[in-house]
Amino acid sequence: MTIMQGALDISGFELSIAAFFVVMAGVISVWNKLQLEKDLMIGTVRCVLQLLAMGYVLRIIFDVQSLWIVLTMFATMVVFACRIVRGNIKERQVPFIVPAFLSMMVTYTAVSAIVTGVIIGVEPWWRPQYFIPLAGMIVGNSMTALSLSLERLFSDLKTKREEVEMRLCLGATSEEASRQTVRDALKAGMIPSINSLAGVGLVFLPGMMTGQILSGADPMLAVRYQIVVMFMIVASTAISVVAVLYIVRGRCFGPAQQLLLKP
Amino acid sequence: MDGAFVFENVSFTWPGGRKVLKNQDFSIPVGAFAVVRGPSGAGKSTLLRLMNRLEEPQSGVIYYRRRPLSNYDPPRLRQQVAYLQQVPVVSDITVRETLLTPFTFGVNKGLASPSDKKLSMRLDELLLGGVGLDERAAALSVGQRQRLCLARALITGPDTLLLDEPTASLDSESTAVVVQMAEELCKNGATIVMVTHDGFSPRDVPMVEISIQNGKVAL
Repeated sequence: MTIMQGALDISGFELSIAAFFVVMAGVISVWNKLQLEKDLMIGTVRCVLQLLAMGYVLRIIFDVQSLWIVLTMFATMVVFACRIVRGNIKERQVPFIVPAFLSMMVTYTAVSAIVTGVIIGVEPWWRPQYFIPLAGMIVGNSMTALSLSLERLFSDLKTKREEVEMRLCLGATSEEASRQTVRDALKAGMIPSINSLAGVGLVFLPGMMTGQILSGADPMLAVRYQIVVMFMIVASTAISVVAVLYIVRGRCFGPAQQLLLKP
Repeated sequence: MDGAFVFENVSFTWPGGRKVLKNQDFSIPVGAFAVVRGPSGAGKSTLLRLMNRLEEPQSGVIYYRRRPLSNYDPPRLRQQVAYLQQVPVVSDITVRETLLTPFTFGVNKGLASPSDKKLSMRLDELLLGGVGLDERAAALSVGQRQRLCLARALITGPDTLLLDEPTASLDSESTAVVVQMAEELCKNGATIVMVTHDGFSPRDVPMVEISIQNGKVAL
């Protein structure tokens, strides 16, 4: 290993030694007849290729320093996040991808811009070295929250259909009839990020903080960045999940305030 | 267009392709006790769901008291046209909270909530005198829950009551109470539409018999 700007460099040969850990996982799979070797191999190849590609793309973006390229990169990340959310949710009666994409774009851009431009004070606010990794962390964390919330909303509206219709029959609006369902879905999405708030520093050290420390940053500075990131993730998760749930809830009901989702 | 409900050239098909109504015209007079009969899956319950807009027809118009249903604000319509579901649905709350549920909705904000004394009188009318207002509604028997749901549906004084096989899962005592209450309401001017499987006929009220089968309605 050679020292480069605070962090020790990892050569290609050293990287291949690290691949031994994946081989160990493969041996465990074969030994226990888990039949996960193929998935493990595909996953490993995808992981390496995707990260290498991202590394080259980031180098170009950092060199060019263009707002439009940064936003295009960000939009691409959100599109992929939406695809993953769509893949996680089986419900197809109610279209949810467009509202999910729009609310993710607006919320994440706003929160990331506040963090980079106001809290960290980067100029310009979209400086890719700051904006892309921070926005990426928001997308990654909120994507899971969104999947959990939407899955919960759809399944509760279907399994508790009679209860929702009972309220409608008693004169409730669709908002009143599904208020508790939306609350439960919101909680389901928020709990992982609240758990992270409680466990960070005790149960796990987050990747960003670890990366900063490994690259030679003062641990206290890394901690301050991590605190900002944790707060940012909780806020963006809450805002994007609320926005998507309210829009999608509206699509689950028709003009007569009747429940459109069929069991 | 006279009548509590007037169906004008109404068609309804479920998303899976099951046809319930095909270009049907019929009406239910104001103050009548309409009994809806037909084989399983013919669409008896769907007919009730169309009457309070839990489903929307693909074509045709349904009028309620001379106005198309689509002209009503849905919560306002459902305040006038109460619908008792086939299965008694109560949340895990007390009997008092169950009865007062309609008053938590915006459409009933202007109405005064009944006192405990009035709520107890309501329960007495449906032979639920032994049930306390602080008891958990979900812990009651099926028959008691069905009667509680009827009391809840009637608490805001609707003009019309849609009953979806209310006696299907009830014992004879509960059945008699529900039927008597429906007949009493009809005598006082309310329109009743009741889906039933058996040969039930109401007594001392103007009855209309509706049979539904293969997408057609016959009176």
